[in-house]
Amino acid sequence: MSTATTQKRGFLGTIWEYMTTVDHKKIAILYLIAGGFFFALGGIEAMLIRIQLAVPNNDFLSAGLFNEVITMHGTTMIFLAAMPLLFAFMNATVPLQIGARDVAFPFLNALGVWLFIFGGIFLNLSWFLGGAPDAGWTSYASLSIISPGHGIDFYAVGLQIAGAGTLISGINFVTTIITMRAPGMTYMRMPLMTWTTLIASVLIVFAFPPLTVGLFLLIFDRMFGSNFFIVEAGGNTIIWEHLFWIFGHPEVYVLILPAFGIFSEIFATFARKRLFGYSAMVFATVLIGFFGFMVWAHHMFTVGLGPTANAIFALATMAIAVPTGIKIFNWIFTIWGGSIEFTTPMMYALAFIPSFVMGGVTGIMQAVAPADYQYHDSYFIVAHFHYVIVGGVVFALLAGLHYYWPLMFSTMLNEKLGKVTFWFFLLGFHCTFLIQHFLGLWGMPRRVFTYLDGQGYNAANMISTVGAFMMAFAVIVLLINVVITLVKNEKVGRDPWGDGRTLEWSLPLPVPYYNFAQTPLIRGLDAFWLEKKEGNGEMLPAESLDDFHMPNNSIIPFIISLGLFIAGFGSLYFASGKDWAIDAVANLPERPWAIWLLVIGLAITFISMIVRSFKDDLGYYVKKEELIKDLEEQERGAK
Amino acid sequence: MSESSNEVMSDVKLRHVRRQRTKEMRMQLTSFGLMIFLTFTAFGMVALDFNATFITGAVLLFAFIQVVLQFYYFMHMKDKGHDFAKLFMIVGMYFAIAFCVTFIYIVWIGAPIS
Repeated sequence: MSTATTQKRGFLGTIWEYMTTVDHKKIAILYLIAGGFFFALGGIEAMLIRIQLAVPNNDFLSAGLFNEVITMHGTTMIFLAAMPLLFAFMNATVPLQIGARDVAFPFLNALGVWLFIFGGIFLNLSWFLGGAPDAGWTSYASLSIISPGHGIDFYAVGLQIAGAGTLISGINFVTTIITMRAPGMTYMRMPLMTWTTLIASVLIVFAFPPLTVGLFLLIFDRMFGSNFFIVEAGGNTIIWEHLFWIFGHPEVYVLILPAFGIFSEIFATFARKRLFGYSAMVFATVLIGFFGFMVWAHHMFTVGLGPTANAIFALATMAIAVPTGIKIFNWIFTIWGGSIEFTTPMMYALAFIPSFVMGGVTGIMQAVAPADYQYHDSYFIVAHFHYVIVGGVVFALLAGLHYYWPLMFSTMLNEKLGKVTFWFFLLGFHCTFLIQHFLGLWGMPRRVFTYLDGQGYNAANMISTVGAFMMAFAVIVLLINVVITLVKNEKVGRDPWGDGRTLEWSLPLPVPYYNFAQTPLIRGLDAFWLEKKEGNGEMLPAESLDDFHMPNNSIIPFIISLGLFIAGFGSLYFASGKDWAIDAVANLPERPWAIWLLVIGLAITFISMIVRSFKDDLGYYVKKEELIKDLEEQERGAK
Repeated sequence: MSESSNEVMSDVKLRHVRRQRTKEMRMQLTSFGLMIFLTFTAFGMVALDFNATFITGAVLLFAFIQVVLQFYYFMHMKDKGHDFAKLFMIVGMYFAIAFCVTFIYIVWIGAPIS
């Protein structure tokens, strides 16, 4: 495990190391690679959408293919790109920020990432196996039950596998943050990134079970002959909408809260000031998380819930603006009078404030239920959620990529190329989506594959497409930047930004696999900054140098996920051609092997679980001698 | 608790732990008795043909008390170090009840207050 053996390892050895790893830093890299790959896929799908809509009466994509592309764009971006990329940064930073040597359940952490990867691959294999899902990312049951072929089955099973991984990771982070904080790291001294991760993980724990239930009902309906959503048999499709949005609304807070966390860290670091109103920020985070569960029906104002329900949900929705506003003002007061350094992450953070506020304001407009009848299913909605998700979450991901890159890879991304990316992305983003508000108000419905000439949509759609190409160019520059940085491989030392405030920057780079040779003592908020200003710039140890325990690597998470992946295909093809199946799949050729695939897949999963529970894996000890050697090396390196 | 450590306890500490355990046992038995009593009362009310509306209300109240006793005494939620578990369960129950209420009213019954 020591660095000497790491260097000897060949290419295959490295692959094996990553397949079996339980180290949160390596799992962060896995999340980053897989999430980045799916982000690229979702981005390509977005470009296809914009090319199709660039001119009226376009036939670049057929209507059916367009439906598949928009569905996969939404699903991929939310479930397979944004969330995993946030998990990458959570994994990379949170254990370091609280002074832990790993997460509470390293094995589950690995299981989470492999379930997500296999679920994502499963979902995307639909492109090659008879067509992707085509009922939108919300997959409303009235539409998804009749969607012919196996597309929706890929959606339901793929998200079920990936969702299980997310739920596992959520539980893991809640436990980690509650139980594994270093001495002195009280709740009110936790950095905002840790706080927002805690609240987002709590939201995952409460919000994913409804999705799991909904997806299971859909799976049973489509693959095993039940009637939950089949109206002719007494089912009710509205239940899907409720279940989906009970999950779906907290889900957008799962995305935006860690984004807020990343920006809070960046503002404080590059304004070189303590975060303004720390306790108010924490309070606002908790409040947003709580309110997030009370507002799901605002996605369903036009379903016909009645005026009372609409009024209640409209009011609850508007209430969320209050804690969000508190946050916006606190960020502004943090940079107010600070000694600002315009690094790439800081520029994203500064651009985030106005962009996100615009998305928030249109959100309040839609919260007014009567007005929402006008906006509903128009491009105004598309513009709104892209303003919050791109202007909030994607900006945070790009900012976080630059900001945390040295922590993850101990090199620095090029600042000049980073700023090129930033400007093209910012301008491209506003160019693409600002005009879509007006398109919506002019009456262009969303999810249409084309529009007629002479309706006044031509110029606006062209502008939007040009903006999309600017964003694509920005992402390509970012990729070039990443490649150049990896090839050059110029290592940086501790605290590469020079103004690191929180505990993770006090560590030597690359971070040792055990993180902390001695658990640090936390003396206040912004622990590392405090030691720089009031101490000697070194964290005080909270324990004497001694052996400590670390978990062993394991291939079992990979095998468990692989088993579910195989079982997924079994359940997917199970209903093909059966006479009891729904119309959508009853005409397909029968697959007699499907049941065996299901049995074998589940057997692989459960046998690996049994092996895991009966085989005692006690981990290993990191020896004092190795720590002393490492510490001496660091001291030599520092001189 | 003290079971996990193998250290030899001092006399005073041992006496203290014993007293604590006796107290704990008394509380367990008391709450167990109370729960049995509530169950019997519920059955008794039905057997004696009380007013149906009254029985519904009373039984629901008893059930609530039983749930609280179950969680706090038998599942040790009253003990120290269960703050987060408590918070999570209460918040989870709150959400679950809110979801059930909305499902009943706006999915199945529809426009209850119109």
